[in-house]
Amino acid sequence: MAAMWLFGFIGFILFIPHKDRRKGILAAIMFQAFIWLCDMPSFKFGLLSAPVRLFPKATDLTVTINYFFYPVLFAIFYVHWNAKNNRWFRLTYFCIWISVITIYDNILEIYTDLIKYGSLNWFGMWIYIGILFYISLICCNWFYKEKPPIKSYVGGTNED
Amino acid sequence: MKTEWWILLSVYTVATGVLFFMPKNRFRLAVVAFLFMQVITFLTGLCVVELGLIEYPVRSFASINRTSFDYEFYIFPVTCAVFNVWYPNHRRPLVQLGYYFVFSTVLTFGEVIIEKYTHLIIYIHWEWYISWITIFISLFIVRLFCVWFFLKPRT
Repeated sequence: MAAMWLFGFIGFILFIPHKDRRKGILAAIMFQAFIWLCDMPSFKFGLLSAPVRLFPKATDLTVTINYFFYPVLFAIFYVHWNAKNNRWFRLTYFCIWISVITIYDNILEIYTDLIKYGSLNWFGMWIYIGILFYISLICCNWFYKEKPPIKSYVGGTNED
Repeated sequence: MKTEWWILLSVYTVATGVLFFMPKNRFRLAVVAFLFMQVITFLTGLCVVELGLIEYPVRSFASINRTSFDYEFYIFPVTCAVFNVWYPNHRRPLVQLGYYFVFSTVLTFGEVIIEKYTHLIIYIHWEWYISWITIFISLFIVRLFCVWFFLKPRT
């Protein structure tokens, strides 16, 4: 678990170019909102469980993964996502990412108590992660649709 | 249905209704404020419940989550989005400070009333002024983040 926090930080710094860090953060918080929302019902209905976790009294959800690690992975994924590449390349890129994460998740499931599958198998997890990635991707793309520059309406700080 | 659920439902409705009044051109700002507020509220909410400072007897997803999902995931972030979208940026600093005061006070006031009369939230080792201060600080952090986020990169 500590390793995930550590590698998450290092990964965010190493794999996200300095100029893209806003994009990275946006992707991370976007993904975070969705994984949190989707994990609520799936934990509730016993699809998943997390015996070892942060804040064991406050929540049954896996805070490390939801709150930090997967959002960071998604941020790295998103920052390197290039809509100009052709469709097959994008599809492959997407599939490789979610497959690697599924494998990682499965390894965690088998060898640790950080996450346990209830009625979910590896294929379900693959689809689940795929859906999460896809929704977040669409939303992030929507956010950055108006290129360039994104109109800033914070209200003047940067306008004048 | 119990009173608590009616309150939740009505707050949900109001919060969603407010979203429709947002100016279209500031929707992105609202999204960033909303999402970043979640980051803060999740973490503080978890800490607060873990340490046993506050309890939420009536809540969504009660069996798996002891924090207030409704408040942390939706209501407070929406409030924060509203806060940022209509932020009086061109006004005097005093007005801006007053804006913070009004938001924190209204939210705290609502919370205290709900604490007193319902089971939505119960203070254990907590006081209203701690709520007030934390709300104030979190609004300030999100504001800073939004300003930084939409800053034009120097070329």
